[in-house]
Amino acid sequence: MVYYLILCRSLTYAQRTAAVLERAGITAHLLRSPKRVVGEGCGYSVKVSERNLAAALLALRRAGLSPKQVFLTAGDGSYREVHL
Amino acid sequence: MIYLDSAATTLQKPPAVARSAAWAVGHLATPGRGGHPPAANAAGLSFRCRELAARLFGVADPERVIFTFNATHALNIAIRSLVPPGGRVLLSGWEHNAVTRPLADLDVKVRMASGPLFRPETALAAFEASIEPGISAVICTHVSNVFGFILPLEGIAALCRRRGVPLIVDASQSAGCLPLDLDGLGASFIAMPGHKGLYGPQGTGLLLCGKDVETTPILCGGTGSASSLPHMPPFLPDRLEAGTHNMPGIAGLMAGLRFVQKTGISRILAHEQRLTRQAAMGLSRIPGVTVFAGPAQAGVLSFQVNGVDCETVADRLGKMGIAVRAGLHCAPLAHETAGTLQDGTVRASFSAFNTPAEGAQLVRCVARIASSR
Repeated sequence: MVYYLILCRSLTYAQRTAAVLERAGITAHLLRSPKRVVGEGCGYSVKVSERNLAAALLALRRAGLSPKQVFLTAGDGSYREVHL
Repeated sequence: MIYLDSAATTLQKPPAVARSAAWAVGHLATPGRGGHPPAANAAGLSFRCRELAARLFGVADPERVIFTFNATHALNIAIRSLVPPGGRVLLSGWEHNAVTRPLADLDVKVRMASGPLFRPETALAAFEASIEPGISAVICTHVSNVFGFILPLEGIAALCRRRGVPLIVDASQSAGCLPLDLDGLGASFIAMPGHKGLYGPQGTGLLLCGKDVETTPILCGGTGSASSLPHMPPFLPDRLEAGTHNMPGIAGLMAGLRFVQKTGISRILAHEQRLTRQAAMGLSRIPGVTVFAGPAQAGVLSFQVNGVDCETVADRLGKMGIAVRAGLHCAPLAHETAGTLQDGTVRASFSAFNTPAEGAQLVRCVARIASSR
């Protein structure tokens, strides 16, 4: 299954991100960032489905939240950064 | 036991506080230290606690709500963030050792904006006259922990904004009973304990950080974030929260915050002020008792029984079943300002759980002590 990972600078920022998305009606799942995509080691991401990325980014922009990075993954261990 | 020492720690708590803290032991791990359910549940609870505190105290982003061990810890972070060694600060004359000792440790030059008790307009004028260019910060308690004097915080904050001077607020006696709005005040920091007017357990406190304020950690270590960096992360709250969180404390604090929110800050203040006025009135009718009371006063009341040492009064009240505190209350500066440094005072301080009957009993017991001099 293809989905996007919105990398956040901290756990609390990821929680804020997930809360904004849930309030916008977008299912958002908080998880530890995969080690291979976190340059500084240890971080949190918010997972959204492929079809929800545009709406999610819009909701975050309206809330004044900026994702650190966004990755596309097919759940097969491969991650491709999406440049916004 | 009638407990009238809530300015130190509230002892009677909403039952949910102990329940939540006990539940946290064995159910909550540490936020940011794993993706498993106990860590995720801890992360969820701590985030909800930050959100609630942010709503109650006017902080737009919950990331700027920092968990600390107590108000002293929070004040130390605030001071170390803004005041360099040898710097200059302006203080009210009512500050606690939690402010003055960190400043002394930094060899800071202190100037005082002093005035008489219970005269907010004079206090504001003193700040206006004393604030000068080049000072690192104004540090002001919102309510004196000795006398309950409510400082004119809005006016002092407006003055600081106009003069471009950072403001640190010690809300140890006001959090939970007076309105606080960090972003509205434009303060750099507001420090508060969790275990007093917020009814959380001991070992909890909050530091509210102003928008875009530079912060200096006083404790470094693991944060569960940016782990490959040799230094503390640049972002809040992680930058100021090294080490494992006090999750039982935070769970209890959350329950305390809910109680304050549900009861209403203005109702709690009105209740405490009613008890304070009632006790002040009763005590002032006793011959030989000096009472420190005035219009701008929260739920803290100091008094002296002439000819009886304040510690003796507190000891005798304790034996009569009333818990109060005597001495200098860790605030020699406040006693110096009020002229009570030599003798100290006896302090009765009220919470949402005290009753008029308890205040009346205090008055009766002090009358017995005064009459047996």
